[in-house]
Amino acid sequence: MLLASVVALNLSMPGVAYGQSSQAPASDPTSAGKAVFAKANCMGCHKWHGNGGGGYGGDALSLRKTELTREQIIETVSCGRPGTGMPFFMRGAYDETKCHGMNRREASAQMPPEGGTFLRTKDVEAVADYVIAHIKGAGEPTYAECVAFFSNTSRVCDIYKTQAQKPEDAAVGAARSQ
Amino acid sequence: MERLSGHARVSSRARLLAVVVAAGGILAVTPVSAADEVTQDRLLNPGKEAGNWIHHHQNYSAHRFSSLKEINRDTVKNLKVAWTMHLGGIEPGGIWSHGGLEGTPIAENGFLYVTDGWGSVYKIDAHGGRGTLAWKMDPKTDRDWAGAVACCGVDNRGVALWGDLVISHTLDGRLIATNKETGQVAWQRNVADPDKGEVITGAPLIVKDMAITGVAGAEYGIRGWIAATDLKTQKEVWRTHTIPGKGEPGSETWKDANNSAAAGGGSTWVTGSYDPSTDTIVWGVGNPGPDWDNAYRPGDNLYTDSSLGLDATTGKIKWHYQHTPNDPYDYDSVAENVLVDIPGPSGPLKLALEADRNGFAYAIDRSNGKFVWGLPFVKKVTWTKGLDAETGKPIEYDSSKQVQTYVASVTPSRTNMETDICPGNMGGKNWPPTAYNPDLKLWYIPVIESCNRIKVEVATPDKLKPREFWTGGGPSQPFTITGSVTAIDVTTGKVAGKMETPFPNLGGILATPELVFSGQPSGEVMALDAKTLQKLWEFNTGGGVNAPPMTFSVDGKQYVAILVGLGGAWDKWFIDATPELKKIQPGSMLYVFAL
Ligand code: HEC
Repeated sequence: MLLASVVALNLSMPGVAYGQSSQAPASDPTSAGKAVFAKANCMGCHKWHGNGGGGYGGDALSLRKTELTREQIIETVSCGRPGTGMPFFMRGAYDETKCHGMNRREASAQMPPEGGTFLRTKDVEAVADYVIAHIKGAGEPTYAECVAFFSNTSRVCDIYKTQAQKPEDAAVGAARSQ
Repeated sequence: MERLSGHARVSSRARLLAVVVAAGGILAVTPVSAADEVTQDRLLNPGKEAGNWIHHHQNYSAHRFSSLKEINRDTVKNLKVAWTMHLGGIEPGGIWSHGGLEGTPIAENGFLYVTDGWGSVYKIDAHGGRGTLAWKMDPKTDRDWAGAVACCGVDNRGVALWGDLVISHTLDGRLIATNKETGQVAWQRNVADPDKGEVITGAPLIVKDMAITGVAGAEYGIRGWIAATDLKTQKEVWRTHTIPGKGEPGSETWKDANNSAAAGGGSTWVTGSYDPSTDTIVWGVGNPGPDWDNAYRPGDNLYTDSSLGLDATTGKIKWHYQHTPNDPYDYDSVAENVLVDIPGPSGPLKLALEADRNGFAYAIDRSNGKFVWGLPFVKKVTWTKGLDAETGKPIEYDSSKQVQTYVASVTPSRTNMETDICPGNMGGKNWPPTAYNPDLKLWYIPVIESCNRIKVEVATPDKLKPREFWTGGGPSQPFTITGSVTAIDVTTGKVAGKMETPFPNLGGILATPELVFSGQPSGEVMALDAKTLQKLWEFNTGGGVNAPPMTFSVDGKQYVAILVGLGGAWDKWFIDATPELKKIQPGSMLYVFAL
């Protein structure tokens, strides 16, 4: 996959931003990023937990298993990924601003789809921070994580609750059956 | 339950009367009374109330044919919008950015009952040449829970009527009974469980005081079923799994060691039909899962991709007919079966007609499930060279093989991991309903003329997780997809005509004595000549038509109604095949036409 220099995208890229974020103690500094994750419908393809996976349409990669850096995530979100279903979210990508050194014409058939909404640079950074802090490197989704994501009364998280109890239940079941 | 306001509810009759007086003082307005109770007798005889539309598919035989003919071949050119109504229900939820409209309105004595994608029910007073909202019942569907496991959109295909209740489903698995007069929920019951990947999108079928419910979720590893709820006791009467349990007949058609049958799919999300003469419910069953890795589930995988005849009283399977054994294409057979009697060489033939995702239309004998005829109704079929004239099975089908390959060069498999097939996995014919004109003996199919590309991913037991996709691959759309309305002469089993359209038919069909109504996802509603399929009238709604037209009359005047709001699977998963449709906006609107 082509990874052009991020500077070429005219994105401001303070290397310290993430470090700064993680210092803020009062509220979760990445909640802005979570809002973007929902608003830009990253969930629509990658699911709330970021594992993406399988599916009826495009095969969104797992953000939990991603090895991308913050900069690379920002680039992926801004420019999308040519030749795949990962959309670009930066206004003017492949027009005023070349992506991967390409404009629309040069990208032609490789042109990724356009995101449902355009994100400001600040929002792209926020969603990248959110992915790094809450999704990248996380194992299987948990109940606590799910409840934190939705923070409503939906039953969407219930299966993670039972899953967390599964090992115990299984052990009990096994003991009984012996 | 969301009331518009206490005031609106209390005064609805007064207001209704006022409207009628203003419109010229027709005094035949009957408030809801015993005469409006929907009984089995009325459901058996919809022909006696031609101005109403009291079944999802118009009658138990799923004809979607109305004898109303004020709007006919000569007058249809004067058809105009009579009134419209904006509905709600386009909110996002789960993996969906918005809902859509796929419902068929129900009409009874001048009132319409429609649903939006999230299952809100609207009662609309259609007297006096305009539409007035009487009430809205919002079931407060758990959008995050259900929307995350709805493979193919935020959809609800409509209600049924029984007694003085409106019976509806919600995506999050409930069966709800709402008082027809007040809009208050009378009771509700959980039928499906989104924790298992089960959701409900279809309208209920009412048979002998039971509500019959089908389920969706074959892309999420469910084991499908059809369930009957006694509307008087609100208890389950029977639940028949579409995939046999261990040791039951048919279980021998799942030959793997992974217990693939337990998550084998077999959804039932399209409302079926009913033959009262034999007390048989005829219902279609969806694809096996994982969709595209059929080597994971060697064997024929009964009763996936089949039409089932069920004893309505017990739910017992009387017969089955399978269209695509060991399906590697996602060619489900959830489509409605249209029940038709035609003269045969030795007495009348009692047929069940089904237009399948696999591109073939089938007539089977509904007394025993035996194949009568079959033919391709799409322009292009690559997965098989044709059907065996005796059995109707694809001619490459080999019962000695555990894993079918059909035309192996195009069939997705573990050795053909990326391949192009026709029809594509949307069909053929998807859920949008067909219609049948009993005078002309013509059966009209809303067609998706398609090919698409399938990529196989080898399924392994560890990939099977609750509420996660279980598809063994996925489609992409490198080819343009178009559509048609295709008519089949049921007496000959031959194509009688094809009216091609620039876009796939995602809405379905209404037949009247001289006309056929349909729509396009690009916005057009159209009327065709029933015999020639020549286009006689068209109106652009400015939205995307994703629902079937229906017709009714009130105050002696005929109307055609259709819900407009593109949603469903298309604009998320298949839009690349119709790039022009990307500009169609989400919407939620009822259009009503009259002369
Ligand atoms: C329309 C579906 C879709 C949407 C919406 C979407 N993605 Fe993606 N995304 C994909 C697909 C498909 C891929 C895999 C591309 C590939 O095959 O390389 C992907 C890949 C990625 C990757 C690269 C992962 C890796 O390890 O290489 C990142 C990061 C990512 N997406 C983040 C996001 C974020 C953040 C959003 C919301 C702003 C988002 N995506 C919205 C479909 C989507």
